Amino acid sequence: MTVHDEPPPRIVAPSAPVLHGLLAEYDDAATLLAAARRVREAGLERWDTFTPFPVHGIDQAMGIRSTVLPWLVFAAGVTGCLVGLLLQYWTNAVDYAWIVSGKPFWSLPANVPIAFALAVLSSALTAFFGMLVLNNLPHPWHPIDLEKRFARSTIDRFFLLIEAADPRFDSVQTRAILDETGPVLVDVVHEDTASPFRTPRAVIHGLVVLLVAALVPFGLLAQARATKSRTPPIHLVRDMDAQPTVKAQQAFPRFADGRGARPAVGGTVAREDQLDEHLTRGTIRGAASRVFPPTVAADRANMGAGRRAFDTYCVPCHGYVGNGDGMVAQRAEALAQGIWVPPTNLNQDHLRRQPVGQLFLSVSDGIRTMPAYGPLVPIEDRWRIIMYVRALQRRSSATIADVPAAERKALE
Amino acid sequence: MAKPKQAGPVTPRPGVPNDDVSFDGLAPGVCRIATSAGVALLAVSVGLGATEGDGFRRFLHSYLVAFMYVLSLGLGALWWVTLQHLVGARWSVVVRRIGELLASSMPALAVLSLPIIASVLLESDRLFPWVDPSFMQSQSALAAKRPYLNPGFFVARWAIYFSFWTALGYWLLRCSLAQDATGGTGPLDGARKVSPLAMIGFAITATCASVDYIMTLDPTWYSTVFGVYYFAGCVIAIHSAMVLIVVFLQHRGRLTRSVTPHHFHDLGKMMFAFTVFWAYIAFSQLLLVWYANLPEETVWYRVRSQGSWFFVAVVLVIGHFGLPFFGLLSRHAKRHRASLSFWAGWLLVLHFVDLYFLIMPTFYPGGVSWRVPDLTTWLGLLALFVADVARRARGRNLVPSRDPRLAESLAFENS
Ligand code: HEC
Repeated sequence: MTVHDEPPPRIVAPSAPVLHGLLAEYDDAATLLAAARRVREAGLERWDTFTPFPVHGIDQAMGIRSTVLPWLVFAAGVTGCLVGLLLQYWTNAVDYAWIVSGKPFWSLPANVPIAFALAVLSSALTAFFGMLVLNNLPHPWHPIDLEKRFARSTIDRFFLLIEAADPRFDSVQTRAILDETGPVLVDVVHEDTASPFRTPRAVIHGLVVLLVAALVPFGLLAQARATKSRTPPIHLVRDMDAQPTVKAQQAFPRFADGRGARPAVGGTVAREDQLDEHLTRGTIRGAASRVFPPTVAADRANMGAGRRAFDTYCVPCHGYVGNGDGMVAQRAEALAQGIWVPPTNLNQDHLRRQPVGQLFLSVSDGIRTMPAYGPLVPIEDRWRIIMYVRALQRRSSATIADVPAAERKALE
Repeated sequence: MAKPKQAGPVTPRPGVPNDDVSFDGLAPGVCRIATSAGVALLAVSVGLGATEGDGFRRFLHSYLVAFMYVLSLGLGALWWVTLQHLVGARWSVVVRRIGELLASSMPALAVLSLPIIASVLLESDRLFPWVDPSFMQSQSALAAKRPYLNPGFFVARWAIYFSFWTALGYWLLRCSLAQDATGGTGPLDGARKVSPLAMIGFAITATCASVDYIMTLDPTWYSTVFGVYYFAGCVIAIHSAMVLIVVFLQHRGRLTRSVTPHHFHDLGKMMFAFTVFWAYIAFSQLLLVWYANLPEETVWYRVRSQGSWFFVAVVLVIGHFGLPFFGLLSRHAKRHRASLSFWAGWLLVLHFVDLYFLIMPTFYPGGVSWRVPDLTTWLGLLALFVADVARRARGRNLVPSRDPRLAESLAFENS
């Protein structure tokens, strides 16, 4: 609660004691409260009270105006919140726009936690440092610390100090005011002429050295950015890019046979191995096949599996009947950002005429902007998907003639 | 920080110096008005419910909202009193009795819950679709919930909840009344000792009750934070209710010296804190559902973010959080009876809107379908609740006047 503006003049050599102020001591809080009221009425400004515990009502008695701190904290909180929102708006919607799980680029719900956290952080920091600054803290020394009796201000005594620097201070009159308030004792406090005011040279030198040392890491960083080096980077965290690797044909003692290159695990086939051109690439002697591989028979089970796989992998974009109106497509269309290539309508004539082998290859390797499904969907399932696509295509151009005679009746 | 002044003079005849802490003079009037208002309003609701010609379906929907509202007051009070014993609170001694009187309303609430239980026992799906076994077989996710969601277990749980709450409320009040007779903190030891376990029991029962009576209206939907959401509403409601009760009593010359701006300040702080807490929980629920975007979870918000329900959602965000947040932020707002009781009333109304928003869209996904019984049932049950509390307050002090910590509470200062 202390308010001390300018530090007292630096006194180098011991000289005549300079008056700092008058210190009154009380032995209970009620008397102090009354005294504070009296001093305030006398119009004094530079004075303070010291108590061993928070005394209720002392603020009013001393006429302490309520602090601006809450407003500072509030402003800081609002600023933090807005900065948080702006930061996310700029990074997500402007600087690096990126669709994440179909959400809008700038979606408020996702921003709330960070805006909230920044609001809390900035208001907490403002409260802490604002409190220090408004109270002129830290304040490591004060002339009354030299008063032996003042130590009891942390135990069981109540003190009131009027500074001589107060414009209305008058050593006789002010003392008379204090005497009226029923103190145990009124004491004169002198400026501190005994303690060395100068910061020791060693401390200053030490600080300079620390400051220079603190610049070194930044210098090193700047140097590292501007130069090239052949030595590998220092890894504090040994993560995946620091794992041991073995080059082809190198020896590697960890394996029993000492070879670095490993033979294929029994019963597996590498992705590139083309055992069966028709099955794996959909071609027969290099030309796209018009028939399904013999291992994928056109039966109800395969068709059902094809439908399940299609519904799982393709429907989000191409839609349930392959018209290109899946949810992802609708969503992207609604966002209208102009960068979206719509999924192809699979029921178009040119695709209907396309050999199954070519459809298979489009799905396996991906085509233009459509990603590859080879790495994701087992090979037979890819064929079954194509089988189902064919069924969908057939469906979209079906006529009444396609309906079996028995059921045609029911429709007509 | 509370500053002990001189020890409060304890008169042999219970009472607080210079203050009127008896409810006797007011009780008959309050009981009469509240009872007749409650009965009249309920009669109107039932009458209007009958004109709908839907076998009281619509009436039961309003009734559920109203019941969850009064239940939240009872539960909030139960929690609050348990908490005061758990932490050994001293500031709150002057208002503790009011909390205790509210918390011992569980038998009345059990009676009020009968229409809801009856709807389940009569195997009617007017409220809960899971009552219908064929519905529960229609989806495998629902079939798995069968062991929990069946009428038998539902009623068993209801019995457990209400016996636990009744016992706890009764016990807390009994300990406190014993203290009125003998003085000293001894009689409160019982309440203090049960409070930790009671708190755990409360957490479990209140969570399950909110799940049972609100969440299972849509048996496929679930949210793990739902119990906390309802609880947050309970806490706001009880503090607001206590503010209004004390302001009413002071208006009638009771408790004028016992309850000071410092106590109002603390009640206001709790209202403020739990307004923020409510928003925090509500938002956590929304954020996780929104992020995960799972169909079985989003459907709940989808209904509530379309058409007129979206408007209600916005009203909640602004009215249940934004405005009271700024309104209650300043200490002056919390220390002045006029402003604090304004916000208390405001929050109590918005609490109703909140429950309406939790419950009604499940029945009326197309949009708000407002009916007069929504209002009259709510006010009717509220009036009956008030009558029950007032009846119990008769012949008892409104302040635990022989609690040794009363002096501290009376002298409590909130800096
Ligand atoms: C992420 C969205 C997406 C998914 C999922 C997707 N596709 Fe596509 N598909 C596209 C887009 C976009 C195009 C158009 C590509 C272009 O023209 O750049 C396309 C084009 C195609 C074509 C036309 C090729 C051609 O020759 O023009 C076929 C056939 C096709 N997809 C089949 C499938 C099948 C089968 C699946 C399921 C395994 C599938 N797609 C899954 C987005 C998707």
